[in-house]
Amino acid sequence: MRTPPLTVAVLAIALCVVGCSRNTVHSDQSKLAPGQVKVALVPGGPHPYFQPWKNAMQQAKTDFKLGDVTFNETSAWNQTTQNSVLKSLAAQGFNAFGVFGVSPDTINSTFGDLRKQGFHLASLGSCPAGDTDNADFCLATDVRQAAYKAAKSAIEAMGGAGNLVHLTGNKTDSNTTRRIQGVQQAIDETGGKVKLIQTVTDIDTDLQTAQKAVADLIAAKGSQINGIVTTAYNPAVASAAAVKSAGLPVKVVAIDDDPTILGDIKDGSVAASVVQNPVGQAYIGSYALSKLAGGCTMKTSGQVIDSGSFVATLDNVDTYDTQRQQQTSQLRKDFDDKYLICS
Amino acid sequence: MRIPFWANPRLGLLVVIVVLVAVFTALRPAFLDVGLTIVPMQSDLTVFVVVGLAQLAVLSLGHMNLAVGRMAAVSAFASGWAYDKLDVPLPVGLLIGLAVGALVGAAAGWTIAATGVNSFVVTLALDFALIGLVSLLYSTFSDGVAFHVAPAGLDILRGDTFADYCMGDLCGPPIPLVVPIALVAALAVGVFFRNSRLGREILMTGSNLQAARLSGIPTRRRVIQAHMLSGLLAALAGFLLAVNNGAFSADIGGSFLLPSFLGPVLGGTLLAGGAVSVLGTVFGAALTEVIQTGLNLLQFEVEKFKIYIGIVLLVALSLDRLRHVLAERRSGGTAAPRPAADPVPAEHSGGAA
Repeated sequence: MRTPPLTVAVLAIALCVVGCSRNTVHSDQSKLAPGQVKVALVPGGPHPYFQPWKNAMQQAKTDFKLGDVTFNETSAWNQTTQNSVLKSLAAQGFNAFGVFGVSPDTINSTFGDLRKQGFHLASLGSCPAGDTDNADFCLATDVRQAAYKAAKSAIEAMGGAGNLVHLTGNKTDSNTTRRIQGVQQAIDETGGKVKLIQTVTDIDTDLQTAQKAVADLIAAKGSQINGIVTTAYNPAVASAAAVKSAGLPVKVVAIDDDPTILGDIKDGSVAASVVQNPVGQAYIGSYALSKLAGGCTMKTSGQVIDSGSFVATLDNVDTYDTQRQQQTSQLRKDFDDKYLICS
Repeated sequence: MRIPFWANPRLGLLVVIVVLVAVFTALRPAFLDVGLTIVPMQSDLTVFVVVGLAQLAVLSLGHMNLAVGRMAAVSAFASGWAYDKLDVPLPVGLLIGLAVGALVGAAAGWTIAATGVNSFVVTLALDFALIGLVSLLYSTFSDGVAFHVAPAGLDILRGDTFADYCMGDLCGPPIPLVVPIALVAALAVGVFFRNSRLGREILMTGSNLQAARLSGIPTRRRVIQAHMLSGLLAALAGFLLAVNNGAFSADIGGSFLLPSFLGPVLGGTLLAGGAVSVLGTVFGAALTEVIQTGLNLLQFEVEKFKIYIGIVLLVALSLDRLRHVLAERRSGGTAAPRPAADPVPAEHSGGAA
């Protein structure tokens, strides 16, 4: 009599349940010379914020004599695609990764998988959500603190009282939650003098989406708004342009230092911008990854390190970069003195 | 009249897959790296196959489910909530998620059947409503936008392959543990449409609503049941993605829409309804996954990457169409005509392959 394949499969599984043992995989983390270290920097997708990573990475390759570096932005803001990109790069011989995870809520699992296989990981620009980080370290802007600084600057520009609007990114991103908390903290500290009249999320997809949202906001509530704090790039550019063209006395605080935003600070249409340190993230991130691949270990695995955020205003718009470069140098020193253990 | 075996669209897809695997392997031998390419590809494929089946369930009627991703999201929320708040075991959370998905799908089907409004409009509206609902649910019931809970067995299901289980020196193949779940779903859907009366009646409803009604088939009920099946499978896809990602988060299902159509349509399921191909859906999803992984390994820049995905898909479909035309000419040009956009022979209409 012929045995149905299903019966065979069920019997095989039953047999395995009774008699199988589970293999434990051990990762191989041998010490690598700098020339053997291949660093891949993988942003969540194409975004102006990551463009400075390209030059910083090349600089790191030259300065630290790394074997190879690459920049891959094909993840297209999709975590599944990013996982696939990371594993493809690993299959091609890259052995250290600086990653801006698409989803802070799920990137930790990917970090865990890759570390189990012996790769070195840095979460750059964004830390995983929750209390633990499965990467070796996280070098990123403290987004809650940056949003707090931005809101404080907006409140100061508004004269300490009035109505504020917060424009930000994807609501399903836990970083957005942290930004909302940072803005709320600054507002709470005013003791009711400043009121948050609206938080607009999900408008950092592209500039067109942000422009439409800002136009609708100004049409509906333009006369009530005293200040706009933006914690995402596209809303920042859109709100600066809209306020300027409408001629409204609204104080705008932007984010990052795109040439457009710096120009807006100089012409007074933007009161301030909270700039981050993407160069430091890529440069120092690559440096630390090469040290880890060379046999160093982190004193605290998953250590969260603030890469710094700085308020650029009309007073310091030409000099804030010096402060940022000092922060980058300090970060390297901190890695050597405080965060890494090298025998 | 039957077309030659080599004109079978499923065989055509399989050949294209084999050729692409050979080309990508020749260009990048890492394509055959078991741990870093083959195993992750299989895990991703399970999600795309099941989400393709979710769309196939309503394509059988000639309907669409544009809310397939949000149905997955709301079901994944239900599972995550059950694991986090009720501390239920892994299979129970899965069942809760499946029930929620089926319920939402049935609600969509009921709205379509009761109002007669096009499925495109109903599911588009439902998608918008669910986007808001999912955000609201997570902000109310979780710490932020995800449940970071790992019920017993989740990590094993996510990370292990059968190669991790051995009897002495004999270990299993490098197939992730999630693969059999998708296989069972594909087999069940195939058997449902090919062998069950309910499945055949859904296909007849999709093929010709009026004729089905006049034949005594309760078409409204069949519409609800097909959408319910779609919701159930979307929920399963959401669960599998949550397992692969290691968290039940609000962004689950956000990128399901395009792959949900790609698998079935590449595989020969008619957009007009009345004919489905489960095996074709599996091959269609596999083709997409192979192209994606191959192009990742070739490290194209982001713009070129998208252009090449489009070109490879167009070439694959054109070759398939060419093969069918050649088959028609060989057989004297008497093969029945079929919709230009669909590579399924007309004689398969009203059936499941």
